[in-house]
Amino acid sequence: MNLETVRARAGPRAFSPADDLPEEYREAATRMIEFHANSEIMGAYLERPFIRQAPSIDRKLAYSAKVQDEIGHGQLLYRAAESLGVKSREEMLEDLANGDGKFLNCFHYPMESWVETPMIAFFVDGAAMRRQATLRRTSWEPYAHAMDKVCFEEGFHVKHGEDILRELMTGSRKERRLTQEAFETWWPRIIQFFGPTDDRSTHHDFAVSVGLKQRSNDELRNAFLDQYIPKARNYGLEIPDEPRIREREDGTYEVEEGDLDWDEFFTVAKNEYEPGREQIRGRRTAQEAVQWVREAIERDGAAGSHAPRAAD
Amino acid sequence: MIWEVFRQERPGEYHAHCGNVHAPDRELARQFAAIQHGRRKPTNSLWVVPRDEIGEIDAEDVAFGGTTDKSYRWATTYSTAGADASEVAESEDDQADAEQRRGES
Ligand SMILES: [Fe+2]
Ligand SMILES: [Fe+2]
Repeated sequence: MNLETVRARAGPRAFSPADDLPEEYREAATRMIEFHANSEIMGAYLERPFIRQAPSIDRKLAYSAKVQDEIGHGQLLYRAAESLGVKSREEMLEDLANGDGKFLNCFHYPMESWVETPMIAFFVDGAAMRRQATLRRTSWEPYAHAMDKVCFEEGFHVKHGEDILRELMTGSRKERRLTQEAFETWWPRIIQFFGPTDDRSTHHDFAVSVGLKQRSNDELRNAFLDQYIPKARNYGLEIPDEPRIREREDGTYEVEEGDLDWDEFFTVAKNEYEPGREQIRGRRTAQEAVQWVREAIERDGAAGSHAPRAAD
Repeated sequence: MIWEVFRQERPGEYHAHCGNVHAPDRELARQFAAIQHGRRKPTNSLWVVPRDEIGEIDAEDVAFGGTTDKSYRWATTYSTAGADASEVAESEDDQADAEQRRGES
């Protein structure tokens, strides 16, 4: 298939590994899905310490189930990316470890306190879900199929994150104040989750023309604000003055993009933001520390002597 | 030799198991599958897989989903205020549905 045919046929779930697709399509899809997979993994590593720091056994269980889900999403997505034949899973994991692999801006920032957890588990998962729901109609079938499973599971993440926010915002005055402060720190990053407006986003046009992407960055960001600003206010959070957000006559919102720090965003995007590099190193160290587990699994797997037992 | 057959009705859909065929090799398995399973039902693609290559784990081997209360893993457990995003509501409905069907089986 040449690029013209791809453009003409591009529709939801239109292309599968059985199709002979041009290099440009396969590379663009690999870049997009690899980024998504890396983000799942780096998000899981950011949240992992809060399994330990959770304030109750219920939160601990839910948090550990969520982190486990996110690692699973990463694995699913590496499979979907690998099926394009451009890069193997090992190469992608290797690139993530050595700092070449790119991932979501929000996961470059350290998270230190429990009051920050709903900023990721509610707002970032909520933002991710806005985007992922549209990707169920992407043109690369294995990606769309991965999104079916991811979207099925994500409802739990968002609701659990929201439940933490509700608990904090109905807690003590100190808890409410600290949660508001965390919100103010994270809010601009959360808005930047969707990236810059499309005319400044490098790969957008191509991805849309071949059906990989369904909605523009702006559309998704606005759809996020429409849904999550009322939610935030509902729990008593005050939306920071910056970036300025305009409410349109129909009750929808639009952000003043110039108020956001795009220099920082692009530094982060290039893996050149020091706290983000620390996240990458942290994950690599954890990865190396459990090398013996992978080796043991491979040794044992060859022997194949264990009775089956599913992780529950 | 037995080959299990998976049919995809339309592009983009999942391949679902639909039966099996006897065939001495992969090429004939593909042909037989096309004749037996692709003639009448809507078909976009068929997969044929040697039965011996399929691994199975079933409800006798393992308690799927565990044996202890894992309600913390379901969206339906958390009560929150205000209208949810449509995709969150959809996920919650799908989870409620899965939870109910698990309970029935
Ligand atoms: Fe995820
Ligand atoms: Fe998630």
